[in-house]
Amino acid sequence: MKGFSAQNLILWVVLATLVALLALQVQRSEASLGQPTAITGYLLIAIILALALFNMRKRLSMVPLGRASTWLLFHGMAGVLAIAVYWLHTGTLWPLGLYEQAIAVLFYLVSVTGIVGYVMQRIYPARLTHTGLEVIYERIPAELARLRTRAEEIVVACTNETTSDTLARHYFESFAWYFRRPRFTVSYLFGGNRGMHWVRHQRITVGRYLNDTERGFLDELTELSYTKTRLDMHYAMQSAMKAWLLLHVPLSAALVLLSLWHMILVHIYAL
Amino acid sequence: MATVAMMARPQRWDAPLSPDMTDDDVADLLRRNPIAKIKSDKFPEHTPLEGILRNDTRIVAHRAGDIVVRSGDYGNSAFIVLEGRLRVVIAPDLPADLLGRQDVAKKGFFEALAQLWTNRRVPEVRDVRRYDRTGVREGRDKAQSVVFLQDVPVVLEKHQTAVLAEGALFGELAALGRIPRTATVFAETDAKLLEIRWQGLREIRKYDEGFRRAIDERYRENALKVALRETPEFGHLDEDALQEVANSVLFETHGSFDWYITYQKMRGAGKQGAAHEPVIAREGDYPDGVLMVRAGFARVSIKMGNGDRTVAYLGAGKHFGMSELFDSWRSQGTEPLQASLTALGYVDLLRVPAPILEKYVFPTLTERPRSPVEIARNRTLSDDALLEWAVDGRFINGTKTMLIDLERCVRCDDCVRACSSTHGGNPRFIRHGRTFDHWMVANACMHCADPVCMIGCPTGAIHRTEQGGMVVINDATCIGCGTCANSCPYDNIRLVEIRDLDGNLLLDRDTQRPIQKATKCDLCATNPGGPACVRACPHDALRRVDFDTEEVFRGASS
Repeated sequence: MKGFSAQNLILWVVLATLVALLALQVQRSEASLGQPTAITGYLLIAIILALALFNMRKRLSMVPLGRASTWLLFHGMAGVLAIAVYWLHTGTLWPLGLYEQAIAVLFYLVSVTGIVGYVMQRIYPARLTHTGLEVIYERIPAELARLRTRAEEIVVACTNETTSDTLARHYFESFAWYFRRPRFTVSYLFGGNRGMHWVRHQRITVGRYLNDTERGFLDELTELSYTKTRLDMHYAMQSAMKAWLLLHVPLSAALVLLSLWHMILVHIYAL
Repeated sequence: MATVAMMARPQRWDAPLSPDMTDDDVADLLRRNPIAKIKSDKFPEHTPLEGILRNDTRIVAHRAGDIVVRSGDYGNSAFIVLEGRLRVVIAPDLPADLLGRQDVAKKGFFEALAQLWTNRRVPEVRDVRRYDRTGVREGRDKAQSVVFLQDVPVVLEKHQTAVLAEGALFGELAALGRIPRTATVFAETDAKLLEIRWQGLREIRKYDEGFRRAIDERYRENALKVALRETPEFGHLDEDALQEVANSVLFETHGSFDWYITYQKMRGAGKQGAAHEPVIAREGDYPDGVLMVRAGFARVSIKMGNGDRTVAYLGAGKHFGMSELFDSWRSQGTEPLQASLTALGYVDLLRVPAPILEKYVFPTLTERPRSPVEIARNRTLSDDALLEWAVDGRFINGTKTMLIDLERCVRCDDCVRACSSTHGGNPRFIRHGRTFDHWMVANACMHCADPVCMIGCPTGAIHRTEQGGMVVINDATCIGCGTCANSCPYDNIRLVEIRDLDGNLLLDRDTQRPIQKATKCDLCATNPGGPACVRACPHDALRRVDFDTEEVFRGASS
C-alpha cells in the first residue's frame, strides 16, 4: 500500500474542518428555528452531481480536463463529504418515509461499494504484483486453457512412459477439477491462499504411490498447478476490481435520479 | 542416438546488399573515381575491394526530383554519384510536407472533443483521398519506394543548394556515426548512385588510408569541433586550442551497427550482461585517453563475485576514464581503470589523448571528477538492480518509456481506452511488457535516443518531429513495408489493416491483400494536453520516463 502524502493529509484536514463548521451551522440554524435541511439538501445534490462527473471525465479522455488521479482524490473526498452532509440533512441513519428509505438504501449502497472499491484498489495491486505473474484479464481464459492442455499432456506422457495410470487416475479425480476453471476465488479475495494448500495436499496424497519417474511428472504437474494458482489469484482480484464498478456506477445513476425527483417533490410540496 | 547435419559456416557476404551486382558492374566501378583512387592491394585476401563492391554496394537509379536522403533521417548507407546531378539543400531546409513528413498540428479543445462522435464504429478508418497527394513514387518493391519533389525548379528558386556532381560522396558521416543526416539531397536530373552499406564503408575506411583520412577530415571539419564545443570539458577553449584537440582526437566504433537484429535472439538465449558484449576498456588496464560517447550506449561495470556489476551506462556526451587520468596527472603516476567499458549494441566513441587533457582540461577543473564506481560504493546491489535490468533490456534507449508501477496499477485499462479514443478507436500500445520488481515497461514506443526503427524507412515516413523530438509516423507516406516494425527491438510498432470512410477494408488492387500502415504511440502529438494515457490513470501508476535520469532508478528496492 502506498503512503499518504502530506498534501493529501492537508486536504483531508480541510475537509474535516469544513464538515465540523457545517455541523455547527446546522445546529445553530435548528436552534434558531431555521430550515437547515434546505441548505444541506441543495449542498448534497450538488455534491452527488459533482461525484457523478468523475465517470463523465473517463469518457472524455481525449480533452485536457486534468489528471484522473486528481479527480479521483476529489471524488473520494467529495464522497466522504456526501456521507457527512447526508446525515446532517436527514438527521438520522434511517429515514421514515418509503421513498426516503429507497434513497437511503441507494445512498448507503453507493457509499459502501465506493469504500469497498477504494480499499480493494489500495490492497489488490500489490498482492497481484507479489504473485510474480502479470496477465491481461481478457487473456486469463486462454492461459487457463493452455495450462489445462499442458497438464493433460504431462499425464498422458507419464502413462505412456511408465505404463502406470496412477497419476492419470488421480489427475482425473482431482486435478482435472482444479484446472477446469478458476477456483478458490473467495479465499484469494480475503487474502487467503487455499489453492496453494490444495495443490500441496494433492501432491502428498498421490506422491506416495509413485516411483521416481512418475514423481518427475508429478513435479511438472505441481509446477503448472502453482502457476494456475497465481492465475486464479489474478482472476479473483482483477474480477473484483472490475465488478465493483458495475454496482457502483448504476447505483449512482439511480441515486441521482431519485434524488433529483426528491428535490422536485420537496420544492413543490414542502417549500 | 543424436544425429548431426552438415552445412557451410555462415559467411560475411552470404546476404549481399543486392543480388543484381555483376562482375561487369564491379569492373566498371573500379574505373570510376573515387573508387579508382582506392588502393585495392592494401585489402586482405578475405576482404578484397572487389568483394566489398560486389556484396556491400548496389547501384540505384533515381529520377529527377527523387529525394535520396532527408535531413534528420537515420540511415546506414553512404552514396557516390555515378551519373547525373544531385543537389544538397543548404538553407532553408525543405518543409515537412515536401519531405513526406507529418506536419504535427495540435487540435483545439473542441476539435479534440469532437472525437467523441467523429470516431468511427470500426477502427483504423482513413480518408484515402489524402494518399493521392503524397508524392510517393513506388519502386520495384515496397522498400525501394521514394518520396519525390513535384516541382524541382521552384525548390531550386526558393532554397539555397549546392551541386553534387559525378564522383561526389555523401551520407558517410551519418552512416558511420549513427547520427541523423544533416542535410537533404535530391536528384536534379535522372541519376545513378552507388549505395554503400555501413559494413562496406567501414572496411574501406579500415584498409584504405586515403579514404579514411578523407572521411576523418570531413568529420573533423564539419562536426567534431561543434560537438567538442558543446561539452563542458572543451567548451571554454578558444579556436586554436579547439583545433588542436580536434586534430588529436581518434575515432572508434565498437559493437554491431545492426545490434537490434540479433538482440532479441541473444536475449532469448540468455546471453546478456557485460560478459557477452564487446570490450572497449578493461578494469585494471591503464588508460591512454578519455573515451567520449558520440552515439550509442556503453556499459560501465566492475567485477563482482563470478559476474559483472553494472554501475552506470554512458550515452551520447558522457565520458569514461576521466577520474583515473586526473589522478594519474595529479600524482604523476599511473592509475589503472576502476571499471570496464563494454558496447551496448553499438557505440561510437572519441578518444581524447591524455596529454591533451593534461594541457587543456585538468588545470581548469576545480574539483576531482568522480567515477561511477565511487558513486556505486555507497549503493547496495538492490539499489542498482533496476539499473542492471534496464541496461540488459536496453530500456535505457527510451526517452519516453511507459513505466507502470504495478503496486498502484489496478489493471482498469483506462489508459488503453484513453489511447484508443484519441487514436480513432485503436490503442497504440499494449498494457503488457517485461516486468521487474513492481515495475513494468509496457509495449509502447519509447521514443528512443537511438531510434533504429528509422533506419531503412524507404519514404522517411517514420521520423523525429522538429519540436519535441518525438518519433512519429506520417500515415500519408507510410507504405506499410514493415521495415520499422521489424527493426524495433522492443516490438512496439504494429501494422494495422486500414479501412475507408465507409468502413470497407482496403485491398491492394494488384495483390488483393489488405493495405497496411505502421502505427505506434505518438505521445498524442496532435492532441492537446500531452499523452492521454498518463492523464487517464486514476492512480498515478503510469509515467513516461527518460531512463537517463536518476529519478527513474530511485525507489527500486522499495
